Amino acid sequence: MLTVENLTISFRTDEGRVTPVQGVGFSVAEGRTLGIVGESGSGKSVSTKALMRLLPGNAEIAREARMRYTAKSGEEIAIESLKPNARALRHLRGGEIGMIFQEPMASFSPVYTIGNQIMETIRLHRGLKGRAGRDLAVDMLDKVGISNPDARVDQYPHELSGGMRQRAMIALALSAGPRLLIADEPTTALDVTIQAQVLDLMRGLQRDLGMGMIFITHDLGVIAHVADDVAVMYLGTIVETGTAREVLKSPAHPYTRGLIKAIPRADRLDARLEAVPGDIPSPSARPAGCPFHPRCAEAIAGLCDRETPPEVTLGVGRRVRCHLHGTRAVA
Amino acid sequence: MIPDKSPLLEIRDLEVSFDLGKRGFFSGRRKQLKAVDGVTFDIRRGETVGLVGESGSGKTTVGRAILRVISPSGGQVLLHGEGAPLDLVPLGPKALRPLRPRMSLVFQDPYSSLNPRMTVRDIIAEPLVVAGLMRDRESIDARVRAIAARCKLDLEHLRRFPHAFSGGQRQRICIARALVAGPDFVVCDESVSALDVSIQAEIINLLKDLQEETGTSFLFIAHDLNVVARISHRVAVIYVGRFAEYAPTESLFFHPRHPYTHALLSAVPEPDPDLPFRPERLQGEIPNPADAPPGCRFHTRCPFARPRCALDVPVWRELASDHFVACHYAEEFDFRRSREPAGTTPAKEREIP
Repeated sequence: MLTVENLTISFRTDEGRVTPVQGVGFSVAEGRTLGIVGESGSGKSVSTKALMRLLPGNAEIAREARMRYTAKSGEEIAIESLKPNARALRHLRGGEIGMIFQEPMASFSPVYTIGNQIMETIRLHRGLKGRAGRDLAVDMLDKVGISNPDARVDQYPHELSGGMRQRAMIALALSAGPRLLIADEPTTALDVTIQAQVLDLMRGLQRDLGMGMIFITHDLGVIAHVADDVAVMYLGTIVETGTAREVLKSPAHPYTRGLIKAIPRADRLDARLEAVPGDIPSPSARPAGCPFHPRCAEAIAGLCDRETPPEVTLGVGRRVRCHLHGTRAVA
Repeated sequence: MIPDKSPLLEIRDLEVSFDLGKRGFFSGRRKQLKAVDGVTFDIRRGETVGLVGESGSGKTTVGRAILRVISPSGGQVLLHGEGAPLDLVPLGPKALRPLRPRMSLVFQDPYSSLNPRMTVRDIIAEPLVVAGLMRDRESIDARVRAIAARCKLDLEHLRRFPHAFSGGQRQRICIARALVAGPDFVVCDESVSALDVSIQAEIINLLKDLQEETGTSFLFIAHDLNVVARISHRVAVIYVGRFAEYAPTESLFFHPRHPYTHALLSAVPEPDPDLPFRPERLQGEIPNPADAPPGCRFHTRCPFARPRCALDVPVWRELASDHFVACHYAEEFDFRRSREPAGTTPAKEREIP
């Protein structure tokens, strides 16, 4: 339902051009969840914001980028060529593609009630006004597990706890009836017990509604339990894709391997953690060649620091960008 | 280093209250919020104690009360040293001053905790200067360089300003600053939570190494259980201002006795799709400490709660050697978690008669 190819995004800044996303491609199928994992500066949020055309004014999407979305009507929309103020774009945001952010307090207006904000969405995208709109809003709040929705609908965001707010945020996004839901670190700000509740809820809703979902997170533990497919990003490029099992069980890229090893797990208490050496470079000082080579223990001198590794296909939907696989394939 | 058994800090019935202002116009009573309510535990020399809890549970307040950044409203904080232990609670700012170099704090956000107008060298040297431990420039410089090298900072960087550094490097600067005066005790308040996973591992390893070299005791406050497990000798679990459980890391993680600890552990998703993810279903969210439930504070969310739990406050007791718990029915639960395969195997609950 969504295919992204060659997505390159750059920002004009006072210090020159910065390109936080370079040649990214992924796709999402109906009813499946694509998990995008990456650390800070990997470009995971920027690339999904481009899908909603929510990037700030100094951002530029490269001309060769293709973002194709198949709408509910079956019509194919070229997201990259929509005019910024087009009706189609307004319909796309929310109506076709819903979005949930990390900080629900920042996504709700503090001066309107939760119900007001959900009803506005319902009016715009479903054309339901008055009583009917309110009933649907209460219904949505009920669906996301908010107790006593009749009363909650008239409360302001600050009256709700963190977990409740995130549920209300999900209700808001779903009330427009999107086919694709983008969730950007939706549980990062929540406590583990609440995170477990929200993850459970999201998986359940997705199953019931048959939505496609893009789930952005830095937490591989969360990925293991929500994602069908995974794309690992590092400094603006996707270094590895595959099913969640393939990527987590047999990671092909040294970065993914390092990331998995660096996660503290409770089962081996005495073993020392294996850190990925070095720091994440800033996107404005991206290393030449493979962006990971300065931190990579397996880097091949003269190759990894010079040439950008090509994307190597290892299987169906299983791709990696690493010279180690390239050289193996040639030899 | 295996911490020896002698305590560095003994915390007895620690209480911290915050004033919420008058309840109503005519009521003369002021409403109080007890953020920490009767916490008792000890921290040994050279030991790292982990403190975990959800947001609003009072974990930061415990750390700050021990450091006397804030004033406890009750209890004792006994600091052992040469001679008789010293209770920090009744001490005023002046009396605390000479003790300050013995204790320090590493914050969560390495971006907001470094003064952008000071060079890294001056930032690290500040505790020495403030405490008046050293006066001449040469010896301060020598000390700063020594601690910076231990924290794996490039000595060339000491002349630079903090803005030039990444999150991981900044956190190393914060750690160097905390350790420069050679403290006995350091509170790390969510000190690795803001860092990326690949950087976080390095900081955890660094803290472990530094402890081995210096024998400093740490109170490591975090919400991430797996991080705490990796760094702590013993772990305490706090829930709405009271400790639920305190035990050596192994026992707490593999044989928790409190239903809340069990629920917390089961809610951590492990990065392995083959492991079943079956978090214990907890009802609702952590209660507001200003309106804490009576009896056991966890009874409103506890899947095993019985009538008594709503009435009696459970006693903080030593269930097994070194394993403290506050639950009326702790003996009846068997939340043993298996080690292989790793992670969250569902706990078996014994029949409750």
